[in-house]
Amino acid sequence: MKDQKRIAIYGKGGIGKSSTASNVAAACADEGYKVMIIGCDPKSDSSITLLGGRRIPTILDLLKQHLDVNEKDIVFEGYGGVKCVEVGGPEPGIGCAGRGIIVAIQKLQKVCPSMKDMDLIIYDVPGDIVCGGFVAPIRKGLVTEAYILTSGEYMPLYAANNICKGLAKIDTPLSGIICNSRSVTREEEIVRRFSEEIGSRLIAFIPKEQIVQDCERDGFSVLEKAPRSDIAQVYRKLAKAIMFNDQSVLPGSLEDERLRELTK
Amino acid sequence: MMGKELSIMHPRPSSIVAALYTLRDLNVDVAILHGPPGCSFKHARLLEEDGIRVVTTALDENGFVFGGRQELSSLLEKVNEMFKPKLIGVVGTCASMIIGEELHEPVLDANLDVPVLEVEVHAGYPDNTKGVLLTLESACELGVIDREELERQKVLLREATLVEKRHGAASRQYLEPSRGDVKYKVAERVVRLLQEGRKGITIMNAKKETGYMFADISAAVNEVALALGRKDHVVNMANIDDSLGLPRVRHHAKCITADLRERGITVHEIIGGMDEYPVTGARVSELIKQKYSDYDFAIITGVPHAIPMEALEGMEIISVTNGPRQVLPLKEMGHHHVIVEIDLHPKTLGVNHIVESEFGATLREVAKDMLGR
Repeated sequence: MKDQKRIAIYGKGGIGKSSTASNVAAACADEGYKVMIIGCDPKSDSSITLLGGRRIPTILDLLKQHLDVNEKDIVFEGYGGVKCVEVGGPEPGIGCAGRGIIVAIQKLQKVCPSMKDMDLIIYDVPGDIVCGGFVAPIRKGLVTEAYILTSGEYMPLYAANNICKGLAKIDTPLSGIICNSRSVTREEEIVRRFSEEIGSRLIAFIPKEQIVQDCERDGFSVLEKAPRSDIAQVYRKLAKAIMFNDQSVLPGSLEDERLRELTK
Repeated sequence: MMGKELSIMHPRPSSIVAALYTLRDLNVDVAILHGPPGCSFKHARLLEEDGIRVVTTALDENGFVFGGRQELSSLLEKVNEMFKPKLIGVVGTCASMIIGEELHEPVLDANLDVPVLEVEVHAGYPDNTKGVLLTLESACELGVIDREELERQKVLLREATLVEKRHGAASRQYLEPSRGDVKYKVAERVVRLLQEGRKGITIMNAKKETGYMFADISAAVNEVALALGRKDHVVNMANIDDSLGLPRVRHHAKCITADLRERGITVHEIIGGMDEYPVTGARVSELIKQKYSDYDFAIITGVPHAIPMEALEGMEIISVTNGPRQVLPLKEMGHHHVIVEIDLHPKTLGVNHIVESEFGATLREVAKDMLGR
């Protein structure tokens, strides 16, 4: 198998994982990499901005109908040839989304030989690792590097800190922290300090820009809709940082007291 | 109690299965397992022998991911149509409970005019009596049993759990199965004791329907005593009070009482109802102390480890169990001979009369041979 990056982006729900993941995917595709993005959230909206706002059938949608699932039924090419897959899942409050991820990923591996040809596979996982299924991509050996996305606010950092504990517990290295800014004071410094104190590093600071939202509303990534914007350049830099990153550590974690102090 | 509990390494009787058996004792016509098709399959089949229908929603991987509300409500409608039940039970399983399935919503969806007992249970409880308890609580809520019966059952369940922990299969981390002592040797010993003019007590302390076979052993001992002219040397105790317990359990007591009467066997002491096997020990002790302390041997069947040893002091003890893992604990309690009736339970399902036991049959044959000589 060729040298392949298989990453997962974790972080508090709503912090911008999907939007970061799809912009990074688009930026890497622009560089000529073969990229696949696998949305593991039952909401199945990880790839929507790579597909011009179109929703694709999810693996679990098809499995539910007892259909014979093939690669062409679940893998869809989006912007720049990025291969988009959505796991899907049950309606909120019913059944077991965690089990869904496990089942869908097993199916995907079985029917999708082109996974092997990818340079980068991004698993866009749900915000909270509430049960075993949500770490299945890691547990099943599919993910080799994890990134955490956070802002400089207390709650997202609290979630990030918890994720660090989780990663350490399942022996998964952390390759860096990405700050998705919410324009709070001293934000970059706070997240940088946090990154260093848990033994990792801040690899990108994404400023808060309305243009990201505007592009998303239209169903596009920034790279596609506003390629000459400053923020597009930020994503390109982040994409490069990820592709060339070779530093990862088993993260430590902070006491809650220290976290509060940091964010004061 | 906590912390001192033994860690469990033997697969244990399942709370799901316990719930199914309790539904049967409440006389449900259909029990629905909400879960994978293989769950509790063996007991489901056995219970069908006992006259109730056991069906499953057969959840598969899709069911685990998406839930099975629709599957359950349509199965409820289907069984209502097929079997015209008067009472239905719905039982949870590990899979459905872990994914957070609700039993009540599908029952509302189906909207049958038949009462439905909902038992949200899985097999993860260390004591399987939890399955009984959950079923009874649901039955009480639905008005199938009254509060008084529920409280009575709770006491019995607590005692049953304690009996198992004290001297039962739950008293050890691991127990190898054993077939116990050879039946014809023990039969010979019983005949010899009677021939020598020794006085014996039969104590049937059976759990519910298992009494259909254990009663045969009491009967056989009496028949042999009669043949030897020692009828008066045997007294019989049995837990066949037919005014106690759930409907089906009372029915068993009635049937066994009638069968014994027909065979001309007097039960001198009724020591409780057929669900009271964990608490009969005190009554047996009291009776022996007052009336039978000079007896030489005791033949205890059913749940022999529930009878305290102090009561039996000085007696030669022959016990008959249907648990291959009960042999060692009984020997260690000090029982002299321990016999296992293999596969007893399946043979006592779906019957209304006493069924022949292996030990009873052996005893009759051995006595015939010995008398013939």
